[in-house]
Amino acid sequence: MAMISAQTFFISFFGLAAVWFGIVVFRTHSMMRSALALLFSQTAIGAMFIGMQAEFLGVLQIMMMATEMSIMAIFMVMFMMDPGGLGKMDMTHQKRRSVITGLVAFLAIVAVALFTNWGTLAGSVPDSAQQIEDLGLELMGRSMLIFETAGLTLLTAMIAATAVAVEPLKRNRN
Amino acid sequence: MTTALILLLLAVGAYLVAVIEAWTMNGRWQLAAPITAGIALLGRESIVPRKPDRVFFEVAPVLLLISALLAATVLPLTPGLIITDLATGVLFINAALVYVLVALLMAGWGPNGAYAMIGGWRFLGQLIAYAMLIVMPVTAVAMRAESLLTTQIVTSQADLWNILYQPLGFVLFFVAAMALAFLPPFDLTTATSELAGGVEAEYSGVRLAVFRLGRLVLVITLAATIVVFYLGGWQGPWLPPWAWSAIKILAVTALMLLAGPALPRVREADLLSLCWKLGIPLALLNIFVVGLQVLVWP
Repeated sequence: MAMISAQTFFISFFGLAAVWFGIVVFRTHSMMRSALALLFSQTAIGAMFIGMQAEFLGVLQIMMMATEMSIMAIFMVMFMMDPGGLGKMDMTHQKRRSVITGLVAFLAIVAVALFTNWGTLAGSVPDSAQQIEDLGLELMGRSMLIFETAGLTLLTAMIAATAVAVEPLKRNRN
Repeated sequence: MTTALILLLLAVGAYLVAVIEAWTMNGRWQLAAPITAGIALLGRESIVPRKPDRVFFEVAPVLLLISALLAATVLPLTPGLIITDLATGVLFINAALVYVLVALLMAGWGPNGAYAMIGGWRFLGQLIAYAMLIVMPVTAVAMRAESLLTTQIVTSQADLWNILYQPLGFVLFFVAAMALAFLPPFDLTTATSELAGGVEAEYSGVRLAVFRLGRLVLVITLAATIVVFYLGGWQGPWLPPWAWSAIKILAVTALMLLAGPALPRVREADLLSLCWKLGIPLALLNIFVVGLQVLVWP
């Protein structure tokens, strides 16, 4: 029997955890549980990145998701009629279509993973400090325009959304 | 070995935080009080409220403690005394501390109580705002050190401590650390007088003991973070490195706790507008000024 390396074990373990928490998102009726299950699914993906020696990406994923999913939790609680899931509300709908869409998407992703020519595998990975330095140079050099444009677009969208929310709409009720 | 030693030091630190906190509240040095209070809590019944979200209710105090402990793993107390010197150390501290928010949301939602829930959601608003004041001053600290390694950050302050190099960043980070540890006057989450304990309200017995321990460890971890980022870490004349770390951490802890009883609790809306309208522009200014300083005085 071939020995499984610790790295393979951890990546598989957190991969399965990510899938399991993803399932929990739809199994529960509580908005809080749903949001936090999604958080832990994303955290597990962050742990997978760390397992794949992409430390910066992993830690960043673990950090960002905690705030984002907490914000999502409060919006879900605010906007859903039955946030605790104690009533009879059903979160699922259009089940047949969802199942078909899900299966097609899954098969497409598997096909992409299997049939893409990924090129030669990197023999060694630079250490974490070097990765961070490379990433910094990349972000401040070649990719700067892309990231700054994306950042500015997001900021504009946020300001616009806030402005729309703050300004009371004068509806003409005729 | 290092891990065991640091855990022991954190336990001693948590005890000292409790002693100092009692001293700031009633002006007396009650050295046995934290221990007797702990034993009393452990001896009491740990009540589970009606219709709780049991998973959140049980996980929240433990998660609070774990996040505070995880943040402490990348903080160097002496040049060699650090559990893991991660290349992403600074980012890792933020990542660990954000789970304090998750823990308090769980503690707010889990017990199915109105006061607890208000406390939890209050902390959400508070932390989303003040997490910016953690991350942005830290960016300026990393800019000067040209590294995310916490040990590198300490050695970058050999000539001049960051409290003098970037005083604005220090003030912002200090305030944000107090808000993150929900210390008075930012204790809207627990607010004894208006929310009857807030997120703590429905906890009792051993669960409350774990919750309070988590909070004490969080305070000492944040004090150690301030020392590492702004007060030159273990560096100082005459005394050995561990002594300097200990003195500085305890002094910062005392300062964080002393501010509370002297000031009235800030209103939620004021707290948030203070951060978004004043704190964040100042933090951006701090990054800009430190950027210029780094270019001018390399």
